[in-house]
Amino acid sequence: MHRLSVVTRVENLAEGIKSYWLALDSDLNAEPGQFIMVWIPGVGEIPIAVAYEENKKLRLVIARRGKTSNYIHENLVKGDRVFIRGPYGNGYIYSNVRRALLVGGGYGASSLLFLASKLVNRGGKATVILGFRNKSKVILVKDFTEIGADVIVCTDDGSYGIKGLASEVAEEIMDDFDAVYTCGPEIMMTKVVHYALSKGRSVQASLERIIKCASGVCGSCVLEPQGLLVCRDGPVFDGEILIKTEDFGRYWLDKTGRRIDISRLKN
Amino acid sequence: MAKLEVTVAGIKLRNPLILASGILGITSGLMVRVERAGAGGIVTKTITKKPREGYDNPVFLELDVGYINAMGLPNPGADYFAEELRKLENFHIPIIASIGGSTPEEFTYVANKLKIPLVKGFEINASCPHVSKHGVEILSDRKLLSEIVSSVKSVSNNSPVFVKLSAMINDVVKLGEIALESGADGLVAINTIRAMAIDIWAKKPVLSNIYGGLSGPAVKYVAQRVIYELYNVFPDKPLIGVGGIEKWQDVVEFILAGASAVQLGSVIAKKGLTVFNEIIRGVKMYMEQEGFRNIEEMRGLAHRT
Repeated sequence: MHRLSVVTRVENLAEGIKSYWLALDSDLNAEPGQFIMVWIPGVGEIPIAVAYEENKKLRLVIARRGKTSNYIHENLVKGDRVFIRGPYGNGYIYSNVRRALLVGGGYGASSLLFLASKLVNRGGKATVILGFRNKSKVILVKDFTEIGADVIVCTDDGSYGIKGLASEVAEEIMDDFDAVYTCGPEIMMTKVVHYALSKGRSVQASLERIIKCASGVCGSCVLEPQGLLVCRDGPVFDGEILIKTEDFGRYWLDKTGRRIDISRLKN
Repeated sequence: MAKLEVTVAGIKLRNPLILASGILGITSGLMVRVERAGAGGIVTKTITKKPREGYDNPVFLELDVGYINAMGLPNPGADYFAEELRKLENFHIPIIASIGGSTPEEFTYVANKLKIPLVKGFEINASCPHVSKHGVEILSDRKLLSEIVSSVKSVSNNSPVFVKLSAMINDVVKLGEIALESGADGLVAINTIRAMAIDIWAKKPVLSNIYGGLSGPAVKYVAQRVIYELYNVFPDKPLIGVGGIEKWQDVVEFILAGASAVQLGSVIAKKGLTVFNEIIRGVKMYMEQEGFRNIEEMRGLAHRT
């Protein structure tokens, strides 16, 4: 059954992206990279990465993607109830990492924010490269700075920060880091994983697929040919595994279980 | 040495643990994983003539006593799935194709498409509790059940045909009899039981479909009773037990009740795929301790007076 939580704060982060702070009855003890299922009764249930959790306070960053996230954006305000289950999946592995490079794209920055805070709290150093389409899409820069991460922002059109792709900037500076983490559009993550492995750096990426059961039984989120389940084996996978995964950067399963080209996904 | 191999309606299994329908049996990669995890066989997700998206989330709910799901039989359709199965190479465990539909024509369409060498048998899903006209309605219409079974049997090229029964029907033995008289080679019991869950703070049913199927420990003793009843009447017919099996003791109970083999489903949500080997070790240990040489020697022993 779901847990009850209450919205304590809503922030507009950028066009089509909001942040929600939820008050919980008890800690989830989520790890960075894990996700929860958010149920809005009568509307739907969607998987959302944990952007932060501390002292029964949970932060989620939700982008407008479909029916349920649109409803949340249009209707959810302070005091409203949100029903959640989880946390699910395997998060980022970060023990013993001293100098980490985090590469985020779009709302993928949210799970990296939680990771950066854990890394910094453990005395590690986190450098974050965030990529966005343009200035109107930029999110979480202040949040990363406040927790003590170094932040580099890139936009496709140069309207904020460096003009260029986060993956390219990451390639240039990757030699200075022990480990690389990435979350965002899969095309970007594919590049980051390839660059990192070619430079002999360990790399982990967090993937998104259609999640139904979230418990590793229905198979809706599978990656082929290994039969990896994003909800249970992931959503964070090691780059060495992903480069052997045909689906990584190429295919999704649609709701029926048919493989479709990743370019057919609407963002 | 205790032998775990068992033959069910002519299908040779390396052990009596079969992956239940609806769980992971949807892509070739997942089937390879299940084989490597130690399963004796695999039942595919229920495949229908046309692709189905299934229901909107929430479709799955964890309870203290098990699970409720209303996935809505999502599947890519028979044509696509036949191609998916053809990707399997060096695959050794038998695949049983679960077929769904609402008319004999839909069932035979799927059976014909999935008549490929790796598919060693068919399981007629006549008992899904949450998709209209695709489930228990079939069991309630004895003529339709009989037509579906005989038409699938007529196109199955002598592959065994199983009928998956539901404990939601009172006289499950009578239905088993109809299925067997119509040409079914064996029976599978039980499917999930229609159920619902209400959230007290939302004051609403949780599943988008309202109704779903209850599985897991909550249904184990019902499933065991159905297998016991079926074995009472059909001791010579292959019977496959399914419902809430989580540990080796459960498997032994079902075999003592009369099952020739069992299926594992919901437990994978709790324990993951390593559960196959964990249970196999336990069953083997029990058989050696109790002096059973094979599964057949244990089968139905709880009926002995």
